[in-house]
Amino acid sequence: MADVAITGLAAMSALGRGPAAQLSGVLAGSATFTPVDRFDTDARRVRLAATLPDAGPLADELATAIDEACLDGGLRGPAGVPVLLAVHGHPAAARAGRAEDGRPLRTAAHLAAELTERLGLAGVPRVYTSACVSAGNAVADAAAMITTGRLDRVVVAAGYLVESDQFALFDAGRGLATDGAIRPFSTGRTGLLLGDAVAAVVLESVEAAGARGVADPARLLGWARTGDGFHPVQPHPRGDGMARAIRQALGRAGLDPGAVGHVNAHGTGSPMSDAAEAAALAEVFGSGVLGGVPVSATKSVHGHALEASVLLELVITVLALRAGKLPPTAGFLGADPACPVNVLTDAPATSTSDTAVTVNAAFGGANTALVVRAA
Amino acid sequence: MSDLLVLAEARWPAESGPDEPPPVVAGYLLSTFNPLVADVAERCLAAHHGERPAPPAEGADTAIVLVSASGDATSAEHVAATVDDGRSMGPLFFFQSVPNSIAGYVASRWGLRGPVTCLCPTGDAMADGLDQARLLLDDGAARSALVICVEQGGGPNGADSATALLVSCAESPPPHSAAQLPAGGVADPTEYVQYEAESAPGQPKPGPPTEPTDFRRRTHVTGDEHR
Repeated sequence: MADVAITGLAAMSALGRGPAAQLSGVLAGSATFTPVDRFDTDARRVRLAATLPDAGPLADELATAIDEACLDGGLRGPAGVPVLLAVHGHPAAARAGRAEDGRPLRTAAHLAAELTERLGLAGVPRVYTSACVSAGNAVADAAAMITTGRLDRVVVAAGYLVESDQFALFDAGRGLATDGAIRPFSTGRTGLLLGDAVAAVVLESVEAAGARGVADPARLLGWARTGDGFHPVQPHPRGDGMARAIRQALGRAGLDPGAVGHVNAHGTGSPMSDAAEAAALAEVFGSGVLGGVPVSATKSVHGHALEASVLLELVITVLALRAGKLPPTAGFLGADPACPVNVLTDAPATSTSDTAVTVNAAFGGANTALVVRAA
Repeated sequence: MSDLLVLAEARWPAESGPDEPPPVVAGYLLSTFNPLVADVAERCLAAHHGERPAPPAEGADTAIVLVSASGDATSAEHVAATVDDGRSMGPLFFFQSVPNSIAGYVASRWGLRGPVTCLCPTGDAMADGLDQARLLLDDGAARSALVICVEQGGGPNGADSATALLVSCAESPPPHSAAQLPAGGVADPTEYVQYEAESAPGQPKPGPPTEPTDFRRRTHVTGDEHR
């Protein structure tokens, strides 16, 4: 199997700055949702999100994350490195106006160009705007670029900072939790809450990592992206596309489901989405609240970071594997018969395997699955 | 790196015929973005497959790559203005807030179950889209890809534009889905025509839920909910 090395990590979220803050935060299992003071929420039904008080502009945070991931990976910096970027768009796009020919004056490509110039990147060959699987698609494509010989090394960066427009849309669409908590796979779950996250990951061929002396890095063993082909915005009720993604990723890794010791779930706390995901997990790993593979849903702690969510959760999954600990899931009130999965609650569990899967889904029936092995 | 074979193509505005707006897509409001995607995708896929849905074996391994620099600028600007004015938001804008939504609409009508990727181009849009399609094919993630490029503005007199190409690679590697799924691992393909099947002749095409209050609360999803 053509593995891909994961050699550098960086992340910020409401849990704090840096990988250590992410790990300690998710292992503590305390949710970080507070009243939003970044913009006016008086007209909203829900007024909570997981935000980092000193978060800077998105471009600054992305530049910092890319730089820190490269340094964490033992590189001198990001100069000369290509980046795959996952964002909703340019933060100013909707208010920047149009050119005379009707084109928007600011797009995500302008953000990519700014990062390229600031950091001396080799360029940004892709900017992903695929909603909540944006970063999953980017990681899978990065792995494909490496294993097909297009690139030896690439940084995947993703960012979403809670802002007024997406907050208003989720509020209007009744997507936000009304009781102040994300409760993945639990009885009484009412929806998601948004959260800040900016993360970056260095991916490279095992040979390239070895050539510069990186010893025994974490590895991306398998990856997959699938579509439900079922509905514009609703998941397939039995999680068919997600199950296919997990099986494809495991197949690429040459692993049976039994080799997986942990799943970091999409787990948004949305009634329909969680039930579909639980069906997918049960289909692949077997059902049973006690007997199934241990499942964490860390959005319950750090919120849903939309386009950045997969990358933050990948960072957390790698860190947890390295630490031999599995994060608990916050907000769990009780087992929902519609979600027959073994949800980790209360305290971090000890890992019994060095292999985990992180799964995600999005509008459009899009799914991604990433299989990770710790160093 | 594989060469691509173009199986079908559609453009808006079409080279011949009246320069009329693309057909409205039920459930999508205000903006031309989603109707443009739906229109060129529909005509491109129909040119290759004929009737909906695509044959299950082909649909299962067809990716969608949606490329747009503008994105749905009209909707985004409307949302921003609504927020800035302190007005209440129409809930349907939530369902069209990301390009994945209309990609999923196309996928559901045609039974396409490959990867769904939306990109903002950093170079020539179609070149970026075809490069992404080639990557997915080389990676074994799909056997064909519907590449859609759509822009709001930028054309003559600020006109919008859209192009769809259905591409494949005759020498693409076996998809991981075919290689790895166990017997019985693929759900009944007939269920994937549900969304399309709700369009009775002369009736509005189906769209996202028109009762968004119930969207997150439904626990069972069938084609019935759109009737």
